[in-house]
Amino acid sequence: MPTITVDGRQVRVEEGRTILQALDDAGLLMDGVDVPHYCWHPGLAVDGSCRLCQVEVEGLGGLQIACNTPVADGMVVHTTSDRVRDARAGVMELLLVNHPLDCPICDQAGECKLQDYAFEYGAAGARTREPRRALQKRVPLGPTIVLDQERCILCRRCVRFCREVTGTGELGIANRGDRSVIETFPGVELDNPYSMNVADICPVGALTTRDFRFKVRVWFLEERPGICTGCARGCNVWLGVAHGEVQRYTARRNDRVNGSWICDAGRLSYREIAAPDRLRTPLVRGEDGVLRSAELDVALDAATRRLRELIDAKGPGMLAALASAHLTNEDLAALRRLLDRLGVDAAGLTLVMGEGDDLLVHPEKGANAAGARAAGFGDPAPILERLRGGGLEGLIVLGHDLLHPTLLGSPDALDDLATLIVLDTHRSELERVADVVIPGRHLAEKGGTLVNAEGVVQEVAAAVEPPFPATAQAEVLDRLAEALAPRLAQAGGDG
Amino acid sequence: MVIPEAARDAIDAAIGRYPEPRAALLPALHIVQRELGCVPLEAARELAAIFAVAPVEVLELLSFYNLFRVEPGGRHRVNVCTNLPCSLRGARALLRGLEAHLGVAAGETTRDGRITLGHEECLGACAWAPMLRIDGDYHENLDLEDAKRLLDGLE
Repeated sequence: MPTITVDGRQVRVEEGRTILQALDDAGLLMDGVDVPHYCWHPGLAVDGSCRLCQVEVEGLGGLQIACNTPVADGMVVHTTSDRVRDARAGVMELLLVNHPLDCPICDQAGECKLQDYAFEYGAAGARTREPRRALQKRVPLGPTIVLDQERCILCRRCVRFCREVTGTGELGIANRGDRSVIETFPGVELDNPYSMNVADICPVGALTTRDFRFKVRVWFLEERPGICTGCARGCNVWLGVAHGEVQRYTARRNDRVNGSWICDAGRLSYREIAAPDRLRTPLVRGEDGVLRSAELDVALDAATRRLRELIDAKGPGMLAALASAHLTNEDLAALRRLLDRLGVDAAGLTLVMGEGDDLLVHPEKGANAAGARAAGFGDPAPILERLRGGGLEGLIVLGHDLLHPTLLGSPDALDDLATLIVLDTHRSELERVADVVIPGRHLAEKGGTLVNAEGVVQEVAAAVEPPFPATAQAEVLDRLAEALAPRLAQAGGDG
Repeated sequence: MVIPEAARDAIDAAIGRYPEPRAALLPALHIVQRELGCVPLEAARELAAIFAVAPVEVLELLSFYNLFRVEPGGRHRVNVCTNLPCSLRGARALLRGLEAHLGVAAGETTRDGRITLGHEECLGACAWAPMLRIDGDYHENLDLEDAKRLLDGLE
């Protein structure tokens, strides 16, 4: 492996990489060695158009752009010399010649590389007196993205993303010189399942998502690490939290899982967290057959009593559990503890299968399907069979994926159950037949460990509090197990 | 199809001249413009299909070079060079005079569809400035009266 020296620091690099790539490989880029750059992106091919990443390489005349200069053994690179700083200042001055400087009304302000580097390298005033180019400030490029032509610095990241990553090629640069603008072909929209990534990678405020545009100032956001729960890929996201609520997901780079991208459906799935159909309160069915809201203790008591009666009367063989593929390993372990204590063997995984693609979207619609299988929750078919045939008396259901047409479909088959305990995050048709319904927490509200489709184990912490009292599923299950324990222990432990 | 058969054959021949088919996209734009007088968006879409690129990539090339047009314009294109040497020899006054003579501004087409007037970047005829180009032909060392006569003689 060749070794290069960057600002006096020895860096071992892979053959064939460029200086910027090698710094990124070593985890040093912008984290030890700051080489500002706009057009280079780890998920895209080298472009070399913005010229900001110029560095000094000993033995080579002139400055070299780090993104496109291949490493060579013994290469000595300087990134902080006066020459380099002067060059950066010059590039910044050129990039700012036509910039509208409308930061006060720009969504990117606060997380803008142009702003950051103008602050670091830019002059306080402009030397030009010519009018800045006046262009369109809000061009809808498609259903998800709006373009401000004036703010664009023509780094071509968005253009390259659509060509190299999605292969959809909607974007290009029309015209030439200071008339250049990002364009779509007339009649063609930027519309693909990953389109909103272009807003993430736009280093300035030119591309914004319709979803987040003008929603909240980014300096009010606290960015907390999270995982998208939409499918078994388990893409890493940043949860932008303000006013106690998740305001957006953006892609969080993880080269082992999702690279630098997330799909649009996943990006918008933050809406599930504060959705109006969240289950806000425990529900207990009364003697009169009506489901009413209740305190958690009351609901747990009702669930305990019903489970105890069922097991006393029919034995644990008539009880089963179905777990959602959205549950964390911690939830699943707690469910397993409860089932062991009850002596219940029948446990299945309700995993919804859907569309997948060859980029990120996985056909298994549950972030912890692999974790659930590893915890022994497998094919639910035998349980579904018994449900349809009336061969079960009781069921504990976590999540409502069970109602998906590919699984049970309608809740009608659950009508005859003596006991149906539901633990869920969102309201569903299960309420029609459930005896006890207990609200659980979304991953963003509880954190936990998930295993993605490739077997990568990922742990995240809770990022927000639920907007109403909800208890993590694992804790609800443990409390149930505890409440049921003494009675079962008295019964001789043969459960 | 807006690209005629003969032009399509010429495009295929052009593709055959390059190791990378894409390299023939620029010649193909010239072929289409020669045939149709411009490269309408529909033709750009057809070229994209022929070259297996996104339509916007054809638009990038088409809009980069200002000698390509997407609108047909008049029967003749008259372009006055307004770069420095021609301007020093009165090109701007020449252009203003022709605008007045034809009753259109640069970039516009006369109402009878005869002439589209425009200005032009350097055509390499600085030694005989000022000059203008009528369709493919150069006319050099002009004064306003010469130029008016040239234009009046156009069909």
